[in-house]
Amino acid sequence: MAALKEEEVVSLAEFAVKSALKRGADEAEAFAYEGLTTTVAIERGQITKSSRIIDRGLGIRTVVNKAVGFAYTNILMDKTAIEETVLKALKAAKASKPDKDWQGFPTRKSFAQVKNTFDEAICELSPEDLVKTASLMLEACEKTDKRVFPVEGGAGASYLARAIANSNGVAGFDRGTVVECSLATVAKESGEVTPICFEFNAERLYRIDPEWVGAEAARQAGSALKAKRVETKSMKVVLAHFALQQLLYYTLMDAVKADYVQRNQSALQGKIGEKVASEIVTIHDDGLLEGGLRTWKFDSEGVPQQKTTVIERGMLRSYLYDNYAAKKEGKESTGNAFRAGYLSTPRIEATNFHIVPGKKSPEELIGEIEEGLIVYSVQGAHSSNPASGEFSVVATPAWKIKKGKIAHAVKGAMLAGNIFDALKNITALANNKRKIGQLVAPWVLVENIKVIGK
Amino acid sequence: MLKDTLSRIIEWAVQKFGAEYVEARAQKLHKTMLTVKEEKVEAAKEGIENGVALRVLINGAWGFASVGSFDAGGLEEAVSHACKMAKAAGLKLKNPIKLAEGKAIEDRVRVKPKKNPSEISVENKIKTMLTISKNVLEYDESVKSCTIDYLDLVGVNYFMNSEGTYIEQDKLYVWSRVLATAKKGDVYTFSREEVGSTAGYEVFDVETPEVVGERVAKRAVDQLKAKPPKGGSFPVVLGPNVVGVFVHEAFGHLAEADLTLSGSVLMDKLGKKVASEVVTIYDDGTIEGAFGSFKYDDEGVPAQKTLLVKDGVVVGLMHNKETAKKFDTQSTGNARAEDFRVEPIIRMRNTFMAPRDYSFEELIEDIKFGYYFKSFRGGQANLDGTFQVGIQEGYEIVKGEIGEPVRNASISGNTLETLHKVDAVGKDFELWPGRCGKGQTAFVCDGGPHIRVLEVIVGGSA
Repeated sequence: MAALKEEEVVSLAEFAVKSALKRGADEAEAFAYEGLTTTVAIERGQITKSSRIIDRGLGIRTVVNKAVGFAYTNILMDKTAIEETVLKALKAAKASKPDKDWQGFPTRKSFAQVKNTFDEAICELSPEDLVKTASLMLEACEKTDKRVFPVEGGAGASYLARAIANSNGVAGFDRGTVVECSLATVAKESGEVTPICFEFNAERLYRIDPEWVGAEAARQAGSALKAKRVETKSMKVVLAHFALQQLLYYTLMDAVKADYVQRNQSALQGKIGEKVASEIVTIHDDGLLEGGLRTWKFDSEGVPQQKTTVIERGMLRSYLYDNYAAKKEGKESTGNAFRAGYLSTPRIEATNFHIVPGKKSPEELIGEIEEGLIVYSVQGAHSSNPASGEFSVVATPAWKIKKGKIAHAVKGAMLAGNIFDALKNITALANNKRKIGQLVAPWVLVENIKVIGK
Repeated sequence: MLKDTLSRIIEWAVQKFGAEYVEARAQKLHKTMLTVKEEKVEAAKEGIENGVALRVLINGAWGFASVGSFDAGGLEEAVSHACKMAKAAGLKLKNPIKLAEGKAIEDRVRVKPKKNPSEISVENKIKTMLTISKNVLEYDESVKSCTIDYLDLVGVNYFMNSEGTYIEQDKLYVWSRVLATAKKGDVYTFSREEVGSTAGYEVFDVETPEVVGERVAKRAVDQLKAKPPKGGSFPVVLGPNVVGVFVHEAFGHLAEADLTLSGSVLMDKLGKKVASEVVTIYDDGTIEGAFGSFKYDDEGVPAQKTLLVKDGVVVGLMHNKETAKKFDTQSTGNARAEDFRVEPIIRMRNTFMAPRDYSFEELIEDIKFGYYFKSFRGGQANLDGTFQVGIQEGYEIVKGEIGEPVRNASISGNTLETLHKVDAVGKDFELWPGRCGKGQTAFVCDGGPHIRVLEVIVGGSA
């Protein structure tokens, strides 16, 4: 099924807005979404399935007397269905309660320019092409280490389009592509099973390296064998990309959201201009990052995305805002309204949360550590205390570093501490930045993390 | 007629594409959602989700397609997509997939709620949520925020497959999650509760706004006085809520037959002892009104009560049709799909440890120093059996008595080693609703009695 045309989607959104105003809304906004995804899946060492998922829909927000109502439908091509959805959104607004802080939808601004977010080649990928990609990945995995079993994974290609219209005259359309492949592995040897090791590559342009993913997933699992327990003590910890993403997602990335700050849920409340991290740490939320996984011309309420400096050499510079939270403080939105498709109202999320990398190679970073851990992934980050930043997680897979070299895999080690203390204890950043979900970051070295072993 | 259309496209996939197995799942669902933040309603939300999922097995490989429409043309296109997908997927297949055969079933399953959420006004639902919020915020001045999400989902699922099964099944879920934070000086605390039912809106007659509000707020406030736990190995007593998440995360996932086959530590353990003899574990889809219950799963197989561990021995796994064939057994009715956009995979239902004979006092009286962990905040397990469960409410046990509260603890260990160290199981029992993520979200319950574990690793920063 071919993608809907730009004019078609925008005019559907505009139709919904007009229809809502005609039926008594003070204000209205419509967000249309289309996702066309082809995937092939690997299960237990072989490619076993393929799918084609077409997901389209429209979410409508209406405001009556400062009360917000929302309704969505996945029936797009039928104007009656859209009108019924408008009526539902109006009914919901009338049932809801006025919000004195509501100050309207965003006004019209010119959208940002973005680069490398759409690739026609990805739209044209067939399931057979993706089978080829997945096979390359599997073969590379098998070639690297015979003790490694590819548990699951796959390859996928998506076309994503979004359109926005609101009663302030905002109207826009943007489209993008994502291609990705991933592999989860375990290694088995003489009765020992390693924890799951995972590698992936996701890009907006058709430039992925399935062979690297397969080989690297195998290398990790193979070297996770012969794991030993470690002593309980505080030590240096290198957080590799996934581990860093997992720990920051449930703590720092929430703490910089303006609504968390306004609602007394953030340990960073009132700390603008203060030192909140080591001075080697600079973080931008970069909604315009070239080829970024969260790069779009406009956010999910039609505000142009932008680059916002969050932490500059350790000093907290800005929180992240959507239109509502910004207006509450008399500020402008930083373009951080996010929605997962058409099913929900916007909420504040980071776009590409970019930790500026350092100059050291990963080998140099490890080479300077007398005793420490390198952690690729953590288990249980979602059980962190989002308000205080306290975490208590299992490091898995992880390796012990001795005298500047990786000595052996580690099992059952827990890391406990507070993310805001950890940020102040970052003493080095590697030069190996990569994209993991919203995070764009290198490996970081954190001093003095409590490791609970035996 | 939807039934005729589904029947025709299934027939077409078999005739034209040579499909060995075809299933169509259609849904017509209506959702109401609310988000309340403090005394404000962020938005009242209504949604319709109509669509069809088509899954075919051709030459031992799966093809899947999903569309948000019921018209015959769209469905024909989707089923031919699914068949082409299956053929592409089979290009490099070494071991073709086979399915355990099912009986042909025809049924119409109706729910009979005392209070049907679709007959309750949005105004009324808003009032209930705002009352919870008020109870949370007014509990103590240290309570700073309260976020409530509410969801109800009502509608019908239609299932048809090429084995002659046709089921129309009413769907009804009511769910709410309440989050509160408290702050005093530099100390921030956080507390969470969920309410969930497949019975009806009457769940709020038991889990009243007052009861739920106080439970969430009290915990957040009490934790302000709590200290961080010591890190290290300790004896612990786990409450039903923590036992539930432990049984679900640490053991249950390993016993989902797809993950067992992927190399979970249970792979070679069927019929063997993996736990102390006081441990018996079930996954039960038949508990009336429980959040993880249903009559038929998303492969048209009746849900059942599945015994997983009996007196310490693994006696069963959770199956769909595909893994059942591999183990030469029958599906246990654990195939579930979140919605029409995704394919069914093996999921838990209501998972619990069976109670035995200890009182709470007997469980704690012999512990010189340890911890009582009453309520969890998240948990996760790995195929090698490493688990982690975060704790949102915990206390020290000192000389056989409950002592001071501790905050932000978590426990970890190896599942099988830990199950062997369960030395006493209580006589009480509670089941708690929750949501489980495995790529898709499933509504479940977890639970059990209080239990004592001789040793687990407690992750603490003190």
